[in-house]
Amino acid sequence: MKAAIVTILLLLGWAETSFSQVAVIAHKSVPMDTIKKSELLDFYTGDIKKWNAAQAVVRLDLKARSDTKKAFYKFLGKSPSRMKSIWLKKMLSGEGDPPLSMHSEDALLQKVASTPGAIGFVSQRRATGDVKTLFLIEKEK
Amino acid sequence: MNPCCKKLKTPSMIANKMTFLCAIVFLLVSFTAVPNSFPQDKEAPIKIFGYFQNSFQQWTTFQSRPKQNSFSLQQLNLLFQKDLGTNWTAFIDFEFLNNFSSGRQWGSAKLEEAWVKYRANMRFNLKLGLLVPIFNNLHEIKNRTPLLPYIIRPLAYETTFSEFIPIEVLTPVRAFAQVYGFFPVGEAKFDYAAYVGNSPNINNDPSFTQTGIDTTSTFLFGGRLGLRYGELKLGLSATYDKDNSAEVLAPELDISPTELSAIPKIRLGGDLSYSFADFSFESEFIKASLERESPKLERNLDFYYATLGYNLTEALFIYGSYWFLDSHTAILALPGDSIEEDEDIKTTTFGASYNMMDRVRFKAQFARVKLDHESQLLPAGVVTRVEDDFSVFSLAVSVFF
Repeated sequence: MKAAIVTILLLLGWAETSFSQVAVIAHKSVPMDTIKKSELLDFYTGDIKKWNAAQAVVRLDLKARSDTKKAFYKFLGKSPSRMKSIWLKKMLSGEGDPPLSMHSEDALLQKVASTPGAIGFVSQRRATGDVKTLFLIEKEK
Repeated sequence: MNPCCKKLKTPSMIANKMTFLCAIVFLLVSFTAVPNSFPQDKEAPIKIFGYFQNSFQQWTTFQSRPKQNSFSLQQLNLLFQKDLGTNWTAFIDFEFLNNFSSGRQWGSAKLEEAWVKYRANMRFNLKLGLLVPIFNNLHEIKNRTPLLPYIIRPLAYETTFSEFIPIEVLTPVRAFAQVYGFFPVGEAKFDYAAYVGNSPNINNDPSFTQTGIDTTSTFLFGGRLGLRYGELKLGLSATYDKDNSAEVLAPELDISPTELSAIPKIRLGGDLSYSFADFSFESEFIKASLERESPKLERNLDFYYATLGYNLTEALFIYGSYWFLDSHTAILALPGDSIEEDEDIKTTTFGASYNMMDRVRFKAQFARVKLDHESQLLPAGVVTRVEDDFSVFSLAVSVFF
C-alpha cells in the first residue's frame, strides 16, 4: 500500500514537472533538432530570418498574457514589452514584421504543424507528434 | 602607335567591353533569378502603416519671445513597404512636420526614405535609394516617435527644430547606398555599416540647374562599427564630406566664393547603451568640424546626451536626461581681424511615457534650457554676451497605426 502511495506521489510529481515546462516547437521540415538560447533569441528578435538558404523562419507568438508566454520570454532574457519594442523598431525601419500572434496555444500548435519553417512555444503537455520539439524550458514555480 | 594596329585592336576592345557588359547582365539576372521572385498569384501585398505625434508645448519667456502655449501635430509619417521577393524589400517614408499645410505655409513635408533592400544574410544587407544612414544609436530611429519616450528629442535629432539647430551639420541626414550587417562571435555581435551619399551642397535654385541634386563632384562617405553583447550596445561612427555652405560669406569677406568652397567636414560619433533589470541607460557624443586654414574659417559643433530611464511598470517608463550642444565658429574677416562666436545650449529634462495600449503612448516632459551666446570681434575686443534660460513643458500622444 505504502509503495503504491509513493508511486502515485512520484507520478504526480513527475506530472507536475512536465506540466511546468514550455516546449519550443517547430514544423517537422525545419533543419534543426535542437536549438540554443542564443539562436532562439536571434530568431525572435528578427536578427536571423532563415533556417537555411531556402527556408524562412515563421515566428509565432501568443496574443494573450499567460504563464507560458511569460516563461518563454523570461528564458530569452527579455520582457514581453521589451520584445514588442524590438519588433516595432524593426517594423518601422522596414527591417521585418513582428511574429504572428495566435489567440491560443492550440491555434499556435496547429499553425506550427501546418506551416513550413514555423517556430513557436506551448506548454509541454500540449506538444504533439505533429510538430518537432526543439527545446524544453522549465517554468519557475 | 601604328594606326593599322589601332584599327585591328578596336574590335577586340569592343569585344572585351561586350564580354564585360554580358558578365554584368548575367550577374544581375542571376541575382534576381526566378526563385527570388513571387509568382503573380502569390505577390505580397503592399503594407501601409504609419504613426503620428500630437503635442502641447508651453514655453516660458526667453530673449525677445513671449510666453507661448501651442498645440501641434508635431509629426506624421506614412510608411509603405512591399516585399518584392524572398530577399528584396521596398520601403517608402513620407514625413510631415509642424502642422504641415502648403496652403498656409506651415511646417514641412518631405520624402524621408525611398529604398530597396537586398538581404543576403545577417552578414550582408544592401540598401539602395534615399535612406537614413546608420550613425550612432538614435539617428536611424530619431523620427520613429512611437519608439521614443521623448516629446522633444535630444537636440541633434529634433527635426522640428531644424530651423534653428544645425541638425544637418551634426548628423548625416541622408545617403543613397549602404551596406550593413553583423557577424556573430559567440554571444557577441559585431555590427558594421558603410554608406555613400551626396555632399551637403544641394541645389535649391531652379535658375541654376536641377534642384535637389548635388552640384559638386564630392561625396559623403560614412560608417559605423559596433558591438552588441546581451543588453550592451556600443559603437563608433564617422563621416567625411565637403561643404560649400560658407560660400555665402564671400561677399562680406571680399574674396572669391571658390576660396570658401569644398571645406572638409568630419563627423565623429560614439554611442553606448545598456539595460539592466528595469533600468536603461543610453548616451552619445557627436563632434562635427569644418576647418580651412586660409582664409581661416572653422566651425566646431559638439553634442553630448545621456539618459537614464526606469520601467516603473511594464507600461510606465520614467527618465532623466542631460543634453549639451556647444557651437564654436571663427572667421578671419581681414588679416588680423576675426569674428568668433561661441554658443552653448544646456538642457536638463525629465519625462514619463505610458503605453495605454500597444499602439497608443502618452508622454509628458519637462525641460530646463540654458543658453549662453558670446561673440567677439578681434582685435577690437568687442564682446557681446547673451545669457538666458527658459522652461518647456509638454504633453503628447503618440499613435502607431
